[in-house]
Amino acid sequence: MIEFKQVQKKYPNGLLALKDIDLEIKQGEFVAVIGRSGAGKSTLLRCINRMHNITSGSLTVDGVEISTLKGKEIRKLRRNIGMIFQSFNLVTRISVLKNVLVGFVPDMPVWRKILGVFTEEEKKQALMAIDQVGILDKAYTRVDQLSGGQQQRVALARTLAQHPKIILADEPVASLDPVTAKQVMDDFRRINQELGMTVVMNIHHVEMALAYAHRVIGLRDGEIVFDGKSEDVTDAVLHRIYKGSPEQQGGSEAHVIEAATN
Amino acid sequence: MLSKLLPTKKLTLPNGKIVVEKRSLTPLIVLLLLGFSYISIQVTGFDFGMFINRIREFFVIIQEMIPPTWEYLPQIWQPLIDTIKMSILGSWLGAVCALPIAMLAANNITKIKWISSAVKFLLSLLRTLPTLIVALIATYVFGLGTLAGTVAIFLFTIAYVGKLLYEQMENVDMKAYEAMHSMGLTTIQSFRYAIMPQILPNYLSTSLFCFEGNVRYAAILGYVGAGGIGLLLNENLGWRNYANVGMILLLLVITVYVIETISEYYRKKLK
Ligand SMILES: Nc1ncnc2c1ncn2[C@@H]1O[C@H](COP(=O)(O)OP(=O)(O)O)[C@@H](O)[C@H]1O
Ligand SMILES: [Mg+2]
Repeated sequence: MIEFKQVQKKYPNGLLALKDIDLEIKQGEFVAVIGRSGAGKSTLLRCINRMHNITSGSLTVDGVEISTLKGKEIRKLRRNIGMIFQSFNLVTRISVLKNVLVGFVPDMPVWRKILGVFTEEEKKQALMAIDQVGILDKAYTRVDQLSGGQQQRVALARTLAQHPKIILADEPVASLDPVTAKQVMDDFRRINQELGMTVVMNIHHVEMALAYAHRVIGLRDGEIVFDGKSEDVTDAVLHRIYKGSPEQQGGSEAHVIEAATN
Repeated sequence: MLSKLLPTKKLTLPNGKIVVEKRSLTPLIVLLLLGFSYISIQVTGFDFGMFINRIREFFVIIQEMIPPTWEYLPQIWQPLIDTIKMSILGSWLGAVCALPIAMLAANNITKIKWISSAVKFLLSLLRTLPTLIVALIATYVFGLGTLAGTVAIFLFTIAYVGKLLYEQMENVDMKAYEAMHSMGLTTIQSFRYAIMPQILPNYLSTSLFCFEGNVRYAAILGYVGAGGIGLLLNENLGWRNYANVGMILLLLVITVYVIETISEYYRKKLK
């Protein structure tokens, strides 16, 4: 369970990116975080695995207060939280398998860490993860020879091999075409349903968010302006989340969705 | 910047729009080059007549080198091997040490700014010292012999490979590095698995290239007493024993050629 209590995040330049966030996400939920660009979605996500530090309030993951963790404990926290990025963040010069194997590095003895030697068991596990996202035939292909959708699946496999309880995804389909995006979203849904991993996803495609997530959180200027079931997201709600954007004048849902996907 | 000082020409298009033509800098550069050539001839007192007269001497020396004294060969082997040993050991150790030093110098890996700046400064300082001078100083510290030469080559390799390496590191794609931090890897581990794969081919290639150059450097280090074949070269030139010099040069040329060919082959494979 992830629990935000009165969380505030102020960047060193004085910008208040998160204001008094109160939020509770239970194990196994599929949550979409929506909001305009600059609303604080990435910041919110990155506080959960301590890629960013919160400046006040309390943030617990499975009951552990994470703002007081140090070096080794932070890395332990991160082992249990997978992260997926918009631009995949893979090492493109090496094979799919090698990218996925990196997830095992923290638990390996020093000499294997240095030499990059992996056991048969680790390779099998990595290949299983690659199979779960349906690109087993590409295991030995260099990442830079794959399409965007395939690369995002490699990133997903890398995360799966880590066996996290939570997956944070920051605009995972924003740089993919609609068809590929849907396939990757299907992967997320399967992982959420079959493996029971919590998925917290920033997504600027509202339709997609509503179609896949159980719960939607609307952020605006660092504040939560909506938190509820996907079914309850109405025109008025979207208006509240995206209000004031120059593209959205008429207020009809079509317009709002367009503004959100731009 | 310079082009602003030049007179500009305006072109008026048929539709009345005005385009300011960008003037080429080429004539100015040619003029400057000619001017500098003239100044440098004046300043250095270059005497063309003298040059023509004495250039003959050069060919006389070349003639005396041929044929080289083949009997001298057995005496050159050991110094030649010393030279190669010096360059291999110095290059190898230098390239290995250049890696952590480059990590310290790269400002995207070492986040503490004064450290990376200080290391960068030291590297450029090291690079400005001519290897021959470093070798000379090393002979005072470590005595005459190959150790001094090895140290000189070692330091030069650190400066050269270190500089090129940290520049590569700073231009590397940091996204995978970030992802690995998010997976709970330490900075060193993330470096090993996200950045190393990106820089490794270039790192090896740069190190090999440096090694090629070092073989040539090593050959002259003997001049200042830092061991190797340069010592013999110096001696024989002193005695005007050009046939021996010819033998040494011949062997050196062959050695350098062989080493460069091998190294080039592997560098191409790394691409
Ligand atoms: N490292 C940073 N330093 C200062 N301000 C930042 C930093 N990262 C993000 N911000 C600012 O914080 C706000 C929220 O950013 P972000 O979380 O990236 O929004 P989103 O992901 O919703 O587009 C924005 O105004 C952004 O400019
Ligand atoms: Mg963002």
